[in-house]
Amino acid sequence: MTLQKIQIVENTNIQYLSHELLFLAQSGQPYRGTFYVNFTSCGETFNLVDFKKYITSLRDKKLNAEDIAYEIFTTIEQDIKTKDLGIVVDLTARGGIQQRISYGTAFNTVQKENIFQVR
Amino acid sequence: MDEKVYKAKRAKELEQLGSAQTQYTYEYDPSLLETFENVHPKMDYWVTLNADEFTSLCPKTNQPDFGTLIINYIPDVKMVESKSLKLYLFSFMNSGEFHEDVVNKIGKDLVALMQPKYLEVIGLFYPRGNISIHPAFSYANKEEKYKEIEKYRFLNRNLNPQRIG
Repeated sequence: MTLQKIQIVENTNIQYLSHELLFLAQSGQPYRGTFYVNFTSCGETFNLVDFKKYITSLRDKKLNAEDIAYEIFTTIEQDIKTKDLGIVVDLTARGGIQQRISYGTAFNTVQKENIFQVR
Repeated sequence: MDEKVYKAKRAKELEQLGSAQTQYTYEYDPSLLETFENVHPKMDYWVTLNADEFTSLCPKTNQPDFGTLIINYIPDVKMVESKSLKLYLFSFMNSGEFHEDVVNKIGKDLVALMQPKYLEVIGLFYPRGNISIHPAFSYANKEEKYKEIEKYRFLNRNLNPQRIG
């Protein structure tokens, strides 16, 4: 899936997050989680509608949990130029075990909550 | 019933629990639900089931919706088995459902399955277009006591509306 480029100011630090990540484990069991994307712009970012559609398309995709951060990383990297791109994925617990997967440049995730969000 | 006999009977009744070959279905399928026998039917007690990972699709736009479902019930003879409930809830994943419909549908399926003394399903859906929807379904059997519970909870629901988060 291609992410359309949007021209923006260079050297802007951008972080996206969503609590609505869903993809399938190899067994077919759905995985839920939160993902964070962080980078510094090289004068461009991606169209958020395209990105939302891409994230939604993962609902039907079978992945090893450990590969999900790489999957998002490569999709962004192939379409837009960034500096210090990093992905962090926090998966909800399965069998009492929580997983945090990260790929790319390390960064601190910003905890932002929607005021209407039920947590 | 002897405890050993009961446990053997319960294990035999439940197909999904402990199965190494779990099949996941992503289209609505109430036949996935399984029950086991309540061994304390003379007691009134609450069972609460929380499902934080519920998801379905908007029937109009096909965009994904997410939410938490809270199921509270007072069992009678039958109780819902939680793994079968999990698989049943997963079966909404690619089904197009409005929030209000999905809560009522789940409530009706669970009533048909268990014939509980009392049951309620509350949906706390994530916001879309800045609006979050929280529908609530409730059911009571014919006994006056449970009708009273339903009436009380219905009349008192959300008396003090507030943001959650």
